[in-house]
Amino acid sequence: MLEVEATADMLLMTQPFTAHVATDEPVEVVLVKAVLSGERDRFARLYEMYAPLVHGILLARVPRGEVDDLVQDIFLHALRKLHTLRDATAFGPWIAMIARNRAMDFYRGSRETVEVTEQMAIERPPNRTAKEILDLICRLPDAYRETLVLRFVEGMTGPEIAARTGLTPASVRVNLHRGVKLLREKIGATTV
Amino acid sequence: MKDREMKDYYLWDRSGEPDAEVQELEEILGTLRYQPQLLEIPRNIQFERRRSFFPAMAIAAAIALAAVLLGLWFSFNRRQAPAFDAKHDKQIDQHLNSPQPLISPDPTRVEVAVDPQPRAIQKHSTAPRNLLASNQSRRSVIRQPVLTPKELAEKEQVLVALRLVSAKLNLAQRKTQGTPQLNSIRNQHKMG
Repeated sequence: MLEVEATADMLLMTQPFTAHVATDEPVEVVLVKAVLSGERDRFARLYEMYAPLVHGILLARVPRGEVDDLVQDIFLHALRKLHTLRDATAFGPWIAMIARNRAMDFYRGSRETVEVTEQMAIERPPNRTAKEILDLICRLPDAYRETLVLRFVEGMTGPEIAARTGLTPASVRVNLHRGVKLLREKIGATTV
Repeated sequence: MKDREMKDYYLWDRSGEPDAEVQELEEILGTLRYQPQLLEIPRNIQFERRRSFFPAMAIAAAIALAAVLLGLWFSFNRRQAPAFDAKHDKQIDQHLNSPQPLISPDPTRVEVAVDPQPRAIQKHSTAPRNLLASNQSRRSVIRQPVLTPKELAEKEQVLVALRLVSAKLNLAQRKTQGTPQLNSIRNQHKMG
C-alpha cells in the first residue's frame, strides 16, 4: 500500500511523500481521510483511480462530447461533498451513483444542445465502427450497458467492475453474459 | 461446452482461452477509452467540512448544568432560612392589635375590653422574612376540643333531639308522598 501511495505521489508530483503508518485500510480509505484532513492534493489520486469508472458510466448514458466535462464536474462535486461520505470504503459506489444521477440530470434539465461543428469533427475523428457498437450497447438495459462499457471500453475485468461499482461479482457476471448475448443479437441484426 | 466455459472465463477476467469476438470488441471499443486528464481543482472551491456539533452541545450542556446548580443553591438556601410566611405574620399582628372579648359573669352581656395602650408589637426583625411563594404542603392539624362531663351530657342531649326531629321529619315526608310504611308486618295476616 505504501508503495502504491509513494508511486502515486511521485507520478503526480503532488507533494513529498510522507510515510504513513502501515495499516490494513484500503487505499481509498487512506486517501479519503487524507483529503478530509486537509490534504486536498490527495484527491488527484482518487481521481486517477476512479476516473475510468465515471467515464464508462457516463459513456453508457450521455453523448460522448459531454463525457469529459461531466467527469471533471462530478469529481469537483465529489470533492465538495466528500464529508457526506460515511463509509470511505464505499467511495467507488458513491461516486458511481453521483455519475448516474448526473447523467439523469443531463437529460432532465433544459440543457442546450451542442451543435457539432467542423472543428469538433477534426478534433475527434469519428470511429464509425466503435460509435456504432457503442450506440448498440446504449440501447441495452441500464445494467447491461454499464457493465459492457466498463468491460470493453475501459478494459476492466469482472472482479474490478464488482469492486469499483459495489455490485456483487455474481451480478456482474450475469450482466456480462446476458449483455454480450444481447449485443451479439443486435450486431447480427444490423449486419444482415 | 468446455470451450464455451473457457471463453466465459476470458470474458470474466481475461483468463483462459481468448474469445476472438470479445477480443475484437475490446480492440474496437478500446479506442473510446478514458484518456487521462489532469483534474483542475479551482483554488476558490468551497471545500465543505464536516459540521461539528460538539461546541454547540458543550455550550448547551454547560447552560443546563449551571441551571441545575442554581436551582440546587436556591433550594438549599431556602431550607436554611426560617420560613415565616407574610400571611402568618399578618395574622399575628391582627391578633395582637384587635380588641379581645372578655367573658363577663353575666351571660347576657359581652364586654369588650380595649387596651388603652396598645402593646408593642414584637416582630422578628432578626430573621428575614421569606416572601417567596412556596408550594409546601400544609398539614392542617385538627385539634379535638377537650369537653367537660357537663358539656358532653349537653352534647348528647342535643344529638338525641336532632335524631328525634330527623325521625319525625322522615315520617311526615313518607305520609305526604304515600309511600308504604317501613313496618308493613301488619298486612301479612291477609296473605296467609
